[in-house]
Amino acid sequence: MKRATGSGSGWRVLAAVAALAVALVFAGFPLLVTDSTATSIAVFTLIFMVATSAWNIFSGYSGYLALGHAVFFGSGGYAVALAARDWHVSGGWEVFALLPFAGIIAAAIALPFGMIALRTRRHTFVVVTIAIFFIFQLAAFNLAFTGGTSGIEFPITPFSAANYNQPFYYVALFILVMTVALSWGVRRSRFGLQLLAIRDDEDRARGLGVKTGRIKLAAFVLSAFPVGMVGGLYFYFLGQIFPQFAYDPLFDVSLALMAFLGGIGTVVGPLLGSMVLESLQQYFTQSFSGSGTYLIAYGILFLVVILLLPRGVVPTLAQLVANRRARALTRRTEEVADSGPAVRSGVAGAVH
Amino acid sequence: MSKAYGGVNALSDCEVRVEEGAIHGLIGPNGSGKTTLFNVITGYERITRGEIRFNGSEITNARPDRVFALGIGRTFQLTRIFGRLSVLENMLVATPRRGGWLRGIVRIAGSAAERRRAMQLLEFVGIARLAHDRAETLSYGQRKLLELASLLVADPDVLLLDEPAGGVNPTLINHLAERIRDLNKSGKTFLVVEHNMEFVMGLCHRVTVLSQGRPLVSGTPQEVRSSPAVLQAYLGGLDDTATERQLTARGDPVGESSAPVRPAPPSARPAPTHGRRERVKGAQPLLEIDGVTTGYGGGDILKRVSFEVPEGGITCIVGPNGAGKSTLLATISGLLRPRVGEIRFRGRVISGLTPRQILKLGIAQVPQTHSLFPDMSVRENVEMGAFTIADSRRVRERLAAVEELYPLVRERAQEKAGSLSGGQQRLVEFARCLMLDPALIVLDEPSMGLDPQMRQVVFEMIETMNRQGKTILLVEQNARAGLRLSSHGIVLENGRVRLSGSGTEVLQHPEIGALYLGGAVAGEGGRGDEATPGEGDANLSHATDAQRG
Repeated sequence: MKRATGSGSGWRVLAAVAALAVALVFAGFPLLVTDSTATSIAVFTLIFMVATSAWNIFSGYSGYLALGHAVFFGSGGYAVALAARDWHVSGGWEVFALLPFAGIIAAAIALPFGMIALRTRRHTFVVVTIAIFFIFQLAAFNLAFTGGTSGIEFPITPFSAANYNQPFYYVALFILVMTVALSWGVRRSRFGLQLLAIRDDEDRARGLGVKTGRIKLAAFVLSAFPVGMVGGLYFYFLGQIFPQFAYDPLFDVSLALMAFLGGIGTVVGPLLGSMVLESLQQYFTQSFSGSGTYLIAYGILFLVVILLLPRGVVPTLAQLVANRRARALTRRTEEVADSGPAVRSGVAGAVH
Repeated sequence: MSKAYGGVNALSDCEVRVEEGAIHGLIGPNGSGKTTLFNVITGYERITRGEIRFNGSEITNARPDRVFALGIGRTFQLTRIFGRLSVLENMLVATPRRGGWLRGIVRIAGSAAERRRAMQLLEFVGIARLAHDRAETLSYGQRKLLELASLLVADPDVLLLDEPAGGVNPTLINHLAERIRDLNKSGKTFLVVEHNMEFVMGLCHRVTVLSQGRPLVSGTPQEVRSSPAVLQAYLGGLDDTATERQLTARGDPVGESSAPVRPAPPSARPAPTHGRRERVKGAQPLLEIDGVTTGYGGGDILKRVSFEVPEGGITCIVGPNGAGKSTLLATISGLLRPRVGEIRFRGRVISGLTPRQILKLGIAQVPQTHSLFPDMSVRENVEMGAFTIADSRRVRERLAAVEELYPLVRERAQEKAGSLSGGQQRLVEFARCLMLDPALIVLDEPSMGLDPQMRQVVFEMIETMNRQGKTILLVEQNARAGLRLSSHGIVLENGRVRLSGSGTEVLQHPEIGALYLGGAVAGEGGRGDEATPGEGDANLSHATDAQRG
């Protein structure tokens, strides 16, 4: 819900201009920057922005910390790799057409996954998602059709070396736009409100008629779909898929960290967090390959954010803006019915 | 219906009927099953036996969302709102779904009409101007109003309110009562659990008293108030004739009224009287509570509470539910700071110290709920009581001394604490708190959940510890048994000290029943608060008057 308490229209114009500028930068990036290192970093970053944003649709809004989304990422990758191999899809744009299929596979896996894991709450839920994740990793190593440790090769792409990254970039950007639209739509919907209610007090939500089981499961499945799609894209971009990369526990942790950094439970926060962290991480990896220096930098950044902005960047900034606005407003008269000391921070329905 | 938790019956063959269009009150002492009753009606807990019918159809063990969809809404004892949502968003959660599930996902939460209705309801309860604030910024009373309003969005036929007036200031209580009456006139049925007797008696058409999981009396407020059985249930002592005999045999004349109640303004030290109370030695109070006002966030729970705990005595605090007894103990042990006033121990101000510092000064507390580590052995549990002592030789000495007093600790040293009975666990908790050799032992409801025999054992142990020089401060729900045991009694009601004196004096005071049930026991249906002062015993310490003046 967006309803400003103060001079709302000014802020709205500003936000629209900013959004337009961001959109232009994203759309024009590969045309302006031709350096292949930079564009490949951009592709990875977009993929993580999708994954974090999708993860946030479930974990951010419902408050259930899922650490098993690598299952959807890897399964999406395998779905595309296997489909391309077995259906003899030639490289190029045709493989991209398989991405929705990867999303469907991920969502189909999410359904039983969610039905099992969502029987539990809080810490138990986290542990169950991790356990299910390891089942998938083990299966990928050992099943025949995944090719075991030798993995699966994707079809050769016909793109020229100079512009190799461009198609991947725009496909990723397209998926990102869809995911952000989904995230934003959910946040505003009745469905999203019910998820937020579950996050704040699940038992009370049940007492207000929210069918919590279905709502949580729907969000879980919904959040798996984009992750599956970018999983397919990611491994196609790399050209091959191996179990240890497909089902990587670090992927799960990264999504959570990126979302927390930016601000979990908001639309913009996870986007910002993943954009900053993933691009930095890729940059450090590519600049100082082999050495662990980037990990140290990564760790320091993280500590600083946790210490200074424990709620994440976006909510903290939103709070600052809201506080300024609240100060500008004349102090409202105290509620007649209650003389209790009400603390007012003036945050008006969280504008993000 | 019946409901059992691991052998303990929370509800046993409990039958309650609520008529359509009524405001039905549900009262009863702690642990009588009121909240459990709410939980089983609304599907948060399952009943083991029996059935629940609503409008003639059975809703036994239906899930909470279904119960709500059928038209039964409830509030919670500790107000529950969605803190990070705005007030208006809180209101929209319960809006009924329109169209298919897909529309629910696609559609923006709250149509214009729904928002208008939500605003009207916020207007109705009086918090419309806060609609766009985050719900967690509301005060406690405002949260109560929001919780109620957010139920009304779905237009339920029946509203179950769990302590709507708990921790709410008097102005707001009146406001709330008005709103409930308004809603009732428009056809809503209410079932209200409440400890504020004035509120219940003034509001409800019928009142049911629950005791030990079953209805004791049901009738008009008048009938309930004048029922002797109800008073018994509140003051306890129905089932502890054994204790009574024991105590009487020891030469403590229970039942024989002694000296008249002395005026005991909160700051004056109650005069020690006859019998074993002469053990009360030194004139110095061990602990002084001086004008303490405090609470959690919203309203004040304790209002200028003052009294003293004399060294070497047993001081018992009694009072109806929600009087502030547990809050008082939390303040003494340092978990809560007094907003106004101070607490002194041996003349030294301890309010503001951390719980650990207070513990080290020699104030040990045994909490109300069982606090042993169930998977650790009895010995380990007791040793945990001494973890602030670094000197291991001293720990061994203390352990030996404690085992002397509590042979149980030695006999069952290796058993898991969780395998002991409730009463034995209680004794191990006592043993644990003795490890630090405290000067003052604070006990919160030591007899809670114990059968009469075990209660007697526990009470004897309290006396033994007292005889060995420990000063005891206890809170006791079973007012009769607690006061009989004690050299000093304090009656706390609605956050204020209402009576104080020797144990027997307080116990036999004619007003004590009124304090528990609100208003004069058999008098006219007046507002208890205004009717009592001065009317009864002129010597009575009515802290209210002094503090209101």
